[in-house]
Amino acid sequence: MTVERVTTGIAGLDDMLRGGLLRGSATLVEGAPGTGKSTLGMQFIYHGAAEADEPGLILTFETFPRQYYRDADNFGWDFKALEAANKLRVVMTSPEVSRADLQHVNGQIEDMAQQIGARRVLVDSLSHFERLAADPIELRQVVYEFINGLKRMGLTAMLTRENATLLGETPDIEEDLAFVVDGYILLRYVELSSAVRRALLVLKLRGSDHAKDIRQYEITGRGFEVRAKFEGQQGIMSGSPVSTAAEAFVQAFGRKK
Amino acid sequence: MSNDDLATRLMDDMDPRLLEFIRTKVNSFIKWDLVRFFHDNPHTTDTAEGIARYTGRDVRTIEPELQQLVNAGILQTSPLNDLTVYTLATDTDTRKLINTFILACDDRQFRVKAIYHVIRGMR
Repeated sequence: MTVERVTTGIAGLDDMLRGGLLRGSATLVEGAPGTGKSTLGMQFIYHGAAEADEPGLILTFETFPRQYYRDADNFGWDFKALEAANKLRVVMTSPEVSRADLQHVNGQIEDMAQQIGARRVLVDSLSHFERLAADPIELRQVVYEFINGLKRMGLTAMLTRENATLLGETPDIEEDLAFVVDGYILLRYVELSSAVRRALLVLKLRGSDHAKDIRQYEITGRGFEVRAKFEGQQGIMSGSPVSTAAEAFVQAFGRKK
Repeated sequence: MSNDDLATRLMDDMDPRLLEFIRTKVNSFIKWDLVRFFHDNPHTTDTAEGIARYTGRDVRTIEPELQQLVNAGILQTSPLNDLTVYTLATDTDTRKLINTFILACDDRQFRVKAIYHVIRGMR
């Protein structure tokens, strides 16, 4: 059985995902402020709407649509033109309303999705659902139900989540929404040689193989760009890696010419 | 002609549709803010609490103004479980008029006239 892939439009990332996300799946993109979660999500939506004939929705609970238009413009992505062409809808709403709306038959969001033939959705961000349930078990059920609502509409979803940890280990948490999603991409800051770089890891992709290596990425004028994997370092995901023994030897005694 | 008459004539000197719009629908500064908000974010779908958050206002101030905009046909509401959700009216003519109003507000002279009419209406 051929598995249908949904390309993100980010070359290195699609390679790590062995061709793209699985059709109809939900992928969590988690990272600290400024790691590029929303940029990755916008690029996923832009690629679908402008290049893959897959209109998309952006459900935003905090960032104003005009900020998306402005930020997208900076990368050369004309979100306003896509909306005018009925290939995109940027919807400002709240977790309470979007949850109730998806429960409803023919709710506004489903209506909008049908109007434009949406195939993709970016939910930015899932962290806001924490105000719907203080109890982690209840929160997991709320998010699970919400994701199933998106899947019911045939959407391939990317959901962002905030992680307050800038550098260092992520503190243990009792409940992790990563269990209810199909894919899990982690974005981290890494301190290396007195500079901060960015690392991406695909931790999970249910039903598919995926790259296990940790790759560098940058956010350039063209958007999210995945580069080569980190070499000669260990403990990348700790935020403060150290050279491997082999690399340390090379650094100490120089490379052979 | 008295000074008052002259001022009135000057301030009434605008597109009659927009004059009517300001006098009957966008007749408070909060409604003006809300109309601009929904113009800039046309797919907003949220409760009064959510809209109050987006506009940085108290929900007790916003809610009656939102309801008046619903009565004026600028916004519409739909029930969602125990929530009341506000969206921009889907009527094309209404959206065109809102767009015309917001574009007109880019002009300082128009804004001065609009402010005059809003204040007069609030007396």
